[in-house]
Amino acid sequence: MSNHIDGSRNSCALHGALQLIEAIEGAVPVIHSNAGCGYQHFLGVNRLNAGGDAFGGPPVSSSNISEKHVVFGGSSRLREQLKNTIQVVEGDLYFIVSGCSTEMVGDDIPAMTKEGRDQNFPVIYANTPGFRGDVHHGYQLAVKALVEQLPDLLKAGRTRTAGQVNLWGVIPHQDPFWAGNLEEIGRLLEGIGLKPNLLLGYGQDVNGWHKVPDADLNIAVSIWGETPAKLLEERYGTPALTLEGLPVGAAAGRMLLAVSEKLGIDRERTESFVRSEENRLNRHLAALADTYYRAGFQLEFALVGESAQVVGLSEFLTSTLGLIPRTLVITDNPSEEAKATLQSLLAALVEGWGTELSFSEDHIEISGLIRSGGAGLVLGSALEEQVAVELGLPFLQVSFPLSGRVVINRGYAGYKGASSLLEDLGSVILSHALRADISSQDKHSRSGTVFYT
Amino acid sequence: MSLLKAKSPRIREKRLDTLNAWLGDTAAAIAEFSGEDTVQRIRTFSQGAQDDLLYVLRLLAGIRNSVTIIHAPRGCAAAGLYHQVTSGRGHWIVSNLDQRDTIMGADRKLRKAVTAAHRQYRPEVIFIVASPVTAINNDDIQAVVEELHEELELPVVPVYVTGFASRNAVTGYDIALHSILKHSGGDRRVHQRSSKVNLLSVVEHPADRFEAERLLSSLGVDLNILPDGASSKTFRLATEARLSLSLDQDSENYLGVILRDEYRVPYIEQPRPVGVEATGRWLVAAGRALGIEDAASVLHEQESERVRRELGDFSLEGVRVYLALSPATAFAVADLVGEFGGEVAGITVSHLDKLHTARLEVLSRRSPALQLHVADGQPFEELNIVRRIAPDIYLGDAAHLGQVGRLGIPVVSLENTPVLGYNGVTGLARSLSLALRNRSFGAALAGIPTSYTGAWYRRSPNWHIKKEVR
Repeated sequence: MSNHIDGSRNSCALHGALQLIEAIEGAVPVIHSNAGCGYQHFLGVNRLNAGGDAFGGPPVSSSNISEKHVVFGGSSRLREQLKNTIQVVEGDLYFIVSGCSTEMVGDDIPAMTKEGRDQNFPVIYANTPGFRGDVHHGYQLAVKALVEQLPDLLKAGRTRTAGQVNLWGVIPHQDPFWAGNLEEIGRLLEGIGLKPNLLLGYGQDVNGWHKVPDADLNIAVSIWGETPAKLLEERYGTPALTLEGLPVGAAAGRMLLAVSEKLGIDRERTESFVRSEENRLNRHLAALADTYYRAGFQLEFALVGESAQVVGLSEFLTSTLGLIPRTLVITDNPSEEAKATLQSLLAALVEGWGTELSFSEDHIEISGLIRSGGAGLVLGSALEEQVAVELGLPFLQVSFPLSGRVVINRGYAGYKGASSLLEDLGSVILSHALRADISSQDKHSRSGTVFYT
Repeated sequence: MSLLKAKSPRIREKRLDTLNAWLGDTAAAIAEFSGEDTVQRIRTFSQGAQDDLLYVLRLLAGIRNSVTIIHAPRGCAAAGLYHQVTSGRGHWIVSNLDQRDTIMGADRKLRKAVTAAHRQYRPEVIFIVASPVTAINNDDIQAVVEELHEELELPVVPVYVTGFASRNAVTGYDIALHSILKHSGGDRRVHQRSSKVNLLSVVEHPADRFEAERLLSSLGVDLNILPDGASSKTFRLATEARLSLSLDQDSENYLGVILRDEYRVPYIEQPRPVGVEATGRWLVAAGRALGIEDAASVLHEQESERVRRELGDFSLEGVRVYLALSPATAFAVADLVGEFGGEVAGITVSHLDKLHTARLEVLSRRSPALQLHVADGQPFEELNIVRRIAPDIYLGDAAHLGQVGRLGIPVVSLENTPVLGYNGVTGLARSLSLALRNRSFGAALAGIPTSYTGAWYRRSPNWHIKKEVR
């Protein structure tokens, strides 16, 4: 049985599906639910990633069912909405997603999709009621629908691109840095001569999704990419590679070597590319060194985020930046099996540091873990800001939800992402020290005033 | 029979003939409400919009020392997360209904959530907000309320929203206010009068609330502000107050009416104090009701003199303005645009009902040809209209201003901008003059296509608005 959640950050399946669809250029979500579902998504997801809004507002099509549709069924309303969406909204693919109420009423969404298809409309669907699960589940449902239903839509033959690699498991907005992360991983794969198929973000349209079956390799960047990768392995026999976490800094080099090995790419060429990337990051580290020592960057940290983020960021902070992991909280509800894998992976990574690893999505529970953990630096979502302020600690927003921070194209993946993380983390530590310094001077000058009067 | 006896209030469509889809001139709008039965309109194409659940959450976010439990699948709490991290308001717990719960019911889960909320926060009141799922499977919230109300010795207030019964989100304010008054309004037979004056403020910008408070307090009025920032005690005090002053009839109307009809607290209804003239009328009306009319007039003279000085030579002479706002704000801002010397080129309101007939008549006398569009969150219609009208500037409070910006015109958002009182006038003048002075951001956005087809822009904007067949 699922439990209640305080300050829920994982929204619902419908919202997860919307996050995916909105990140595909030319894909138009058609929500079949009551009016508020799409708006909840806009407020509670898009707006908490300032700079995460594809259409310039809430979703552009929603059937907004009313009481009579709940009583008598809403399938005919969906038929009307779908037909009119195609006339009003520009798109290459119309993607019906359902909410709780229409699923409870039992509207026949596959039948309505088929009707649309019979008229040659490019339509697919996924049943995504919120009661079926959270955003991660919704992402998987939508990916599955695309993989299974798109091949029937494609009329023209595809041209195969050698060296194509599909990327999975990066959930738009749930990873606030999704766009920048994908672009950087793509840049690195290009660097070793591959053709990355990012699937989501700028310039990523339905064509990219049509090409999914042609890939030489599917990479799962997070545990949420494993299901799509497995599905494609079953359907097309494409080999898959699952990363341990978001590849930040040196981990990106290891990713490139693993990919090279899997695809039989010239190892020397890859090594030389990795060396040049590492050299640049090393220069950045050297440039930071004076500030690092002077301002006391070597802190114990608490990190709250999705599994891939927690693994990737804590690995970089610990293995390269010399910080010490104190409290790690994974918030994306991994399955029991995935939990066990993550546990052994992180145990090896943080061995000897006395790190406490927890799985929770409850705001109150997480705040308590940070409070009792005793870290000197907090990385987390806007929900963790309160406890960081309460403890007087430097704080960096890295996970969903964000507030007071705009992320458009920034990423923490790869080598460039590692440098961005250095900049952001360094700025937070420095400005925290500066504020503390000013307020202590304030105190002194105030006591001085008292002395002279 | 007391209105508060019902589980929830009548929806706006039934209570005030509220429309949420309509297009026409002001005279036609008046005609809509003059007959016995207003014909409802529906859309054959629609876009996501606010619903009563969202308005309930917005209102409850402002209730002090409260915890809100959203009895729903997890996504219904997304707006709660928004309020929590953007304004630090409210404590939000979702009961997290799964597939099994939708069939079997989940009162045990709800009970656990309420008990946990009580333990964690020791609040003054716990709200249980229903949802589409609990409305459909008819989960027994009332049983949990009665049981835990006694066990925990604290008000546990059920708020029965459905998300689909009304097409007008503003019904949500009525539902929330009904629920709060029903459970913490105090005894209706006692009619002691205190010296306090209710200031009805429903999800106003804090700066707007402070402005109204500043003006009334300087006249020595002892204010009891609700529901924004109110506690349970504030609601009890409200039932004993001398009278209630309005700030926004659209949102507060139900509260004013209940306090008047159930507790005999006179309700002084006035259009929103937006613009120098309307603020003066609002202030003087309050003064008259409280026997301090002269002092109110003097304050108005002083403040309007200050505003005139601060405005300098600011003018909207020759500027055509499009307004897309909630109705009371739209009509009030339309007057202010007139005060500034500008021309209102068209108006979109989020709903329209019998509360607006007087304002419509004024508007119809002044500009009979003015086109009125009724839509909540339907940017496809709005963009079609605004493209045709081609105004010089657009003022709106909806969540789709990013789409309007792509038309290349200057946009000013009133979603988070104070507009009330004398300070509202100078603040808005500043925003307008900046937007008109440097239009480069709009020009940059104009390079990005909007989401709609050429065929749609060639159709009439009300193509998808049809009379509802019953």
